[in-house]
Amino acid sequence: MMNFQQQHFVQECLDALEQGTLTKDRLSAAFEAVTDQEHKQQDLLYLQLVESGLHSKVIGMRMLIDGKYADEPENTGQWPYEEEGWPYESAIDAIKDGWRVISFPNMALSLDENRTYGLGFEFILEKWR
Amino acid sequence: MKTYDCKPTLPDREVIKFCREGYLWLESVVPRDVTDRVLEFLRDQADPTQANQLLQEDWFVEGLVFNPETVGAVRSLLGANFGLPPFIANHMGKCPEPDPLGWHVDGGNMHTFALNYLQVFCLMQDTTVEMGPTEILPGSHFLLGQSALVGRYGAIRGVRKCVGPAGTVFITCYPIWHRRYKATATDCVRHLFKYNYFRNSPPQRDWVIDPDFDPAIHTNEFNHLQVGATPYRRNFLDSYDAARMYMWLCGLEEEFKYIGGVAWPGPFPDDWDEDFDHYAVPPSLRADARPTNYDPEAPPMFSRG
Repeated sequence: MMNFQQQHFVQECLDALEQGTLTKDRLSAAFEAVTDQEHKQQDLLYLQLVESGLHSKVIGMRMLIDGKYADEPENTGQWPYEEEGWPYESAIDAIKDGWRVISFPNMALSLDENRTYGLGFEFILEKWR
Repeated sequence: MKTYDCKPTLPDREVIKFCREGYLWLESVVPRDVTDRVLEFLRDQADPTQANQLLQEDWFVEGLVFNPETVGAVRSLLGANFGLPPFIANHMGKCPEPDPLGWHVDGGNMHTFALNYLQVFCLMQDTTVEMGPTEILPGSHFLLGQSALVGRYGAIRGVRKCVGPAGTVFITCYPIWHRRYKATATDCVRHLFKYNYFRNSPPQRDWVIDPDFDPAIHTNEFNHLQVGATPYRRNFLDSYDAARMYMWLCGLEEEFKYIGGVAWPGPFPDDWDEDFDHYAVPPSLRADARPTNYDPEAPPMFSRG
């Protein structure tokens, strides 16, 4: 079943065919675009930050790459551990690395100053490959 | 319910540490001959996850359930004549296990400043990072979250892995977040015993009182950050929650108030002017019951404390 974008490409080709303007190149480009869409993979990055600002420190993360959870940063040495391998220290770091924010923290959860719901302020980011 | 009593062994600082962190770590307190004998017992079982039979064995009950360091701490936190574990579970962790298990909060949890039971873990063998130890998140007993909500989290800064020699005991607050870390070791099984003790008397400050420690003054002890821990929420809220749990354990929760600012239990340096009384100290904690001109109130504008 085609998604919206694939339908759009096909419809463009049909319109061009009707008008007599469909060319081999245009049809090839449409086929290539449709094929690329089929193979695009969404990766997800969950970042929990200590505050709501994009610059604030990452305190938790989980990454979904190619449909599988990626290995987590390692903790080394005696507790409290020196943490290694955290790829991003802030949401801005992740954005600079090509991640796109698709969900911002729900600020309503922080309105009760005496209660803390869950872990930090959560941003969800995506990449398409 | 079977009960037991003994002398409390924890001083104020350790009780406050439990309130702050949500757990206590007692290294190698259960003798190795006990844990070795447990492993031998488990090897003969068709289902090694079932360990209740051991509660009929005197050597096990004396060595683990009545372990002096453990029960001294339990007595300090749960008060006199506390209830004993009616059952024991063995959380077997096969190795290898490539992915960590999900973060969760055990079933039936509720977030409260009251401490009516303790969940205790004991390592039955020397446990390394490679064996997929339990991870706990210090301070998470104050973070509102259910398993359905916390299961999506992955790596979190500040977690503690329950590694250590055989016989190491972790006494935890029931709602603390935890999970099993991934296991890269091969051809071994991690055995982790889990059991509970229960409160059977009203809370009161009857643990070891250190004459050099004054909870009205040494408020830094309530502060999560002073041990270099990762902050999970707004400034000083950890201190307030740890102090409120401490006051509940003292049987004085009705005196606790969220005043904020420079008020007790705001974390202030121990070397500040000792002639200056901390502001808004609960009456029962004030030295010599010093009267004050004004007992502050701070009704919250938007939420209930």
